[in-house]
Amino acid sequence: MDLHLCHQVLANELWKNNPVITVVMIAVPTVSNTTKNASVATDAKRSTRFFRKTISLIITTYRLQQVLRPPRLKVNMTFSETESIIEKLTEFNDGNLQIVNLYVPLIHCSSCIWVLENLNKLNPFISSSQVNFSKKTVRIAYDSQKTSLKDVVLLLARIGYEPYISLEDIDGKEKKVDRSLIYKLGVAGFAFGNVMFLSFPDYFDLSSSKTSGGEFWLNQYEVVFRWLMFAFSLPVVFYAGADYFVSAYKGLRSKILNIDVPISLGILVLFVRSTLEIMFDWGSGFFDSLTGLVFFLLLGKFFQQKTYSFLSFERDYKSYFPIAVTKINDDGTEESVQVHEIKQGDLLLIRNEELIPVDGIHYKGKAQIDYSFVTGESVPVEREFGDKVFAGGRQMNGPIEVEALKSVSQSYLTQLWSNSVFKTDKSTRFQNITDSIGKRFTIGVLTIAFLATSYWIYFDPSLAMNVFTAVLIIACPCAIALASPFTLGNMLRIFGQKKFYLRDTSAIEQLAQVDTAIFDKTGTITTSKQSTATYQGMPLTPEEESLLKNTLRASNHPLSRTLYDILSDHNIYTLDDYEEHLGKGLEGSKGNKHIKIGSSEFVGKEEVSDSLNTAVHVASNNTYKGKYVFHNQYREGVTEVFEQMAGQLQLAILSGDNEGEKRNLEKLLPKLTPLYFNQKPEDKLAFITSLQEQCKKVLMVGDGLNDAGALAQAEVGIAISENINVFSPACDGILDASKFQQLYQYIIASKKAMKIIKLSFLLSLLYNVVGLYFAVTGQLEPVIAAILMPLSSISVVGFTTIMTNLQGRKLK
Amino acid sequence: MEVQQFYYDNKIVKKFIYATMLWGIVGMSVGLLLAFMFLFPNVTDGISWLSFGRLRPLHTNAVIFAFVGNAIFAGVYYSTQRLLKARMFSDVLSNINFWGWQLIIVAAAITLPLGFSTSKEYAELEWPIDIAIALVWVAFGANLIGTMIKRRQRHLYVAIWFYLATFVTVAVLHIFNSLELPVSALKSYSVYAGVQDALVQWWYGHNAVAFFLTTPFLGLMYYFVPKAANRPVYSYRLSIVHFWSLIFIYISGRTSPLIILRIAGLGSKPWGSLFSYVDSSFLGWYDQWSFDLEGCLGQGAYGSYA
Amino acid sequence: MSVIYVLLAISIIVAMVFFAAFIFSVKNGQYDDSYTPSVRMLFEDELVKQKKSLQKSNMDTSIESNN
Repeated sequence: MDLHLCHQVLANELWKNNPVITVVMIAVPTVSNTTKNASVATDAKRSTRFFRKTISLIITTYRLQQVLRPPRLKVNMTFSETESIIEKLTEFNDGNLQIVNLYVPLIHCSSCIWVLENLNKLNPFISSSQVNFSKKTVRIAYDSQKTSLKDVVLLLARIGYEPYISLEDIDGKEKKVDRSLIYKLGVAGFAFGNVMFLSFPDYFDLSSSKTSGGEFWLNQYEVVFRWLMFAFSLPVVFYAGADYFVSAYKGLRSKILNIDVPISLGILVLFVRSTLEIMFDWGSGFFDSLTGLVFFLLLGKFFQQKTYSFLSFERDYKSYFPIAVTKINDDGTEESVQVHEIKQGDLLLIRNEELIPVDGIHYKGKAQIDYSFVTGESVPVEREFGDKVFAGGRQMNGPIEVEALKSVSQSYLTQLWSNSVFKTDKSTRFQNITDSIGKRFTIGVLTIAFLATSYWIYFDPSLAMNVFTAVLIIACPCAIALASPFTLGNMLRIFGQKKFYLRDTSAIEQLAQVDTAIFDKTGTITTSKQSTATYQGMPLTPEEESLLKNTLRASNHPLSRTLYDILSDHNIYTLDDYEEHLGKGLEGSKGNKHIKIGSSEFVGKEEVSDSLNTAVHVASNNTYKGKYVFHNQYREGVTEVFEQMAGQLQLAILSGDNEGEKRNLEKLLPKLTPLYFNQKPEDKLAFITSLQEQCKKVLMVGDGLNDAGALAQAEVGIAISENINVFSPACDGILDASKFQQLYQYIIASKKAMKIIKLSFLLSLLYNVVGLYFAVTGQLEPVIAAILMPLSSISVVGFTTIMTNLQGRKLK
Repeated sequence: MEVQQFYYDNKIVKKFIYATMLWGIVGMSVGLLLAFMFLFPNVTDGISWLSFGRLRPLHTNAVIFAFVGNAIFAGVYYSTQRLLKARMFSDVLSNINFWGWQLIIVAAAITLPLGFSTSKEYAELEWPIDIAIALVWVAFGANLIGTMIKRRQRHLYVAIWFYLATFVTVAVLHIFNSLELPVSALKSYSVYAGVQDALVQWWYGHNAVAFFLTTPFLGLMYYFVPKAANRPVYSYRLSIVHFWSLIFIYISGRTSPLIILRIAGLGSKPWGSLFSYVDSSFLGWYDQWSFDLEGCLGQGAYGSYA
Repeated sequence: MSVIYVLLAISIIVAMVFFAAFIFSVKNGQYDDSYTPSVRMLFEDELVKQKKSLQKSNMDTSIESNN
């Protein structure tokens, strides 16, 4: 039973509206779905009682919180004022009823579903709301005459389910769900089931033994059964199997013999030969093998498609940028404009916690900008009037005004996306393992087919055609085509359980091949959560340290907060005097003690600081004491990961920051690891490209939007994320930060997966040899094909599943 | 658009539950009596309507159609309303379903001991009762589909699909097997002659097991087992795959010429019985297995293949 | 043995009907979300106790729902 803050907030909200409902609502048992541990399954009645007791406490606590700290809405409501934007955001809008599908990243448990599907208790004009848990979306229908999108979004934010609305929601909206594979699978499965049963009589060789009597009824209806099978196989060949023909044709046109060539050949020969057989009453054909083949192949495709619907691997800056901003007109009036309409010279109002959408000049207000989306650096930077601010930064300290210097697409960060690397589909640059053996396989099969046929033409021409088609049928590489989807699909799931989410199976294949690994620094090998500081200078007395801590306590500056957390505990007391000098530092005094904390000039230090790292200087009673130098906090196990990789992969660090951390890094990382600093987003991309020109297979590990180009250009781009629900740029895989230490193990596991595939190729070739014996000697009966084909497929699937699971157990 | 308030019809559910209990006792008591007859064959000698031959169909009908049938209705009426967030489409149809079904059972309990029988197993009832069964079953189906149409929950939970499959297939099976020409008030002849009649009868007989005793209970278990455990099924996706693959294989496997093949071969060829065994086991185990995979160990009412 | 044709036709028609239902339901997005429904069905409906409804039919469960 987990009681999350979101539910407490909701409880309060409900209490205000209807105290009776609240009790009922709180009684909703949390369904223990996420854990398979049976002991977690809760007794609903007991929990009801528990909640009735605790509810009043919760509400009191929450009210208290409300008084102390009114909730801040992070959600940018600027969009809700413009009609055209609402039109684009809603799925359906007839003037009365509006339906909107909102992404709510905070959906995380079964009670969330309950809460969000009962929104109409909070706003009676919401007529229905339906959650898609795996996609973390909620689809809300409401009466737009009586309530508005703004009300709905505010309501969601108030109860703790802030929807995430970004520029992406209005730009690339027409995403059609592709369900064609499910239809095809349905058609093939349906036909396979029926054909299998219809062809059972033939397996027992009943109907064909007309001469010896056989079963009268079956002989009589044989023709009907056969043509029924033919009818069932038509949609299988021409609809469900069409993709294979298309792919084979495309491959041949670009002079590549991919695996779909022998598959299409097999399907086609199966169909034509079977049709001819039933037409001329030679036999009952191979319709069962035909439909089974297509069904199994599609099943493999289906299995390969593991999608993490709650993750997106496609995100570009649009997912983070707001839809609209407030523009201040010359006459002082404010209006909200779409970010695409911002022109150079426009004066923009950026409210607290809003994102700056374009490069500009800081014009008014206290700018404290968090560039963590862009660089991964979590400590906000301060900007003076007239300084340049860059798109992608988030204002953290009250409203500011910014004069736009460029349009959105021209800005420093966003123009990265005009690079062609974002326009080409990565998967087309890569030939997967199945296709790469397809060529040899096809040539081999065709050679055997022609050799065997010529042999039979010489000795017994009547069998020649039979042998030719039989070879193509039996050699149809069903098991080979299944080996890779099932191995990699299973590996993908195993990785997913270990919080390493890959975009698709080709990412595993590519990961197995990498020989170079490039890392971003800030946010990738450092954590964004903590940083450390070391003190340099004259030691502070306990009183001084105590005064320092109490002075810091009063400040809201990010560096003060960090330093306050680092310092050891001291008694809390009230200062006699406290003053904060904007952009300079703090001053505090207690009794006859006086302390100054801040920049070197502020505390009165003469010589210029030589450190590139951020530092906070301290002076006590106007004598300079020393400074706290901030360092990045490196992730646990960074050294180990680099040491493991060092022998196998070529490594490098690409950092957008200055060289301040150089010495620290050199200590941490294996000797001679190249370190590059001051790398702009384009530089990172160019660096990867230059490595690829030397035929390197590059793994890029990054985190911020500034790595987006490099992530896209690299063979495999992996984004490190401390909260997978929140943020990661377009990439091939998302690695949960807690699993950073395992990165190399995952690479090894990918290599092992490729070995498993190769072994299963061998296994299926064994079956092919057995089948080819029957085919070449002209003895292929439908029943042999019907046994061999599923048997080889099932054993390959079983083999790969067991092997990958064994492999998965070794992973942490 | 405003909040709607509506009532679930629980009365009808209770009625069906009481009927289930009543007919369960009756049907099993008759079975007990029949069992005694194995030990004491002469216990009802001289009473024609208590002879083994007349009581046996009464027992099977009472247990399958009265006991199990009412249990299906009770479960379906309870869960459908809750899954679709709607009261049953029509209270009148619900009551026609209930009282009609009980009347049919009473009629069967009278006519079977009196010796009125078509002598088709599981379909012994004579033509007026057959027509009544068809009408009541269609009333049930109309009520179910009507509720589906006026539902408030967009998604059709997998259980609803099982109910729907039950309705459609049982209707088709019953109607086509019971086509008969009446010659008097309680006597009819099948429209199929001789062997053809036997074929249709066992096409029906096998399917009745699948679609009257298996699919509805799979649906009920997909509702009641998660409810009782207060946790979702292990994989809802698997339950969807379960339903559709069952439908695609069952309808062909159970309804197709396979059955005919089996009857044709059964007895005359050793492979016939072998095949029959393999097929039944496959389909039976398929169900069991799919459901077990769902992490629900209860096998309950549907392990009725033998 | 013409009845085999009849049975065959019936089987195929029933199978086709279900196949159409399958296509239709996939097309309608019934299976786009293959998790949430299994949780949703666990939620109990909310009982609204009102005198009127108690008088009207004391055996009915009254619930509120949105539409």
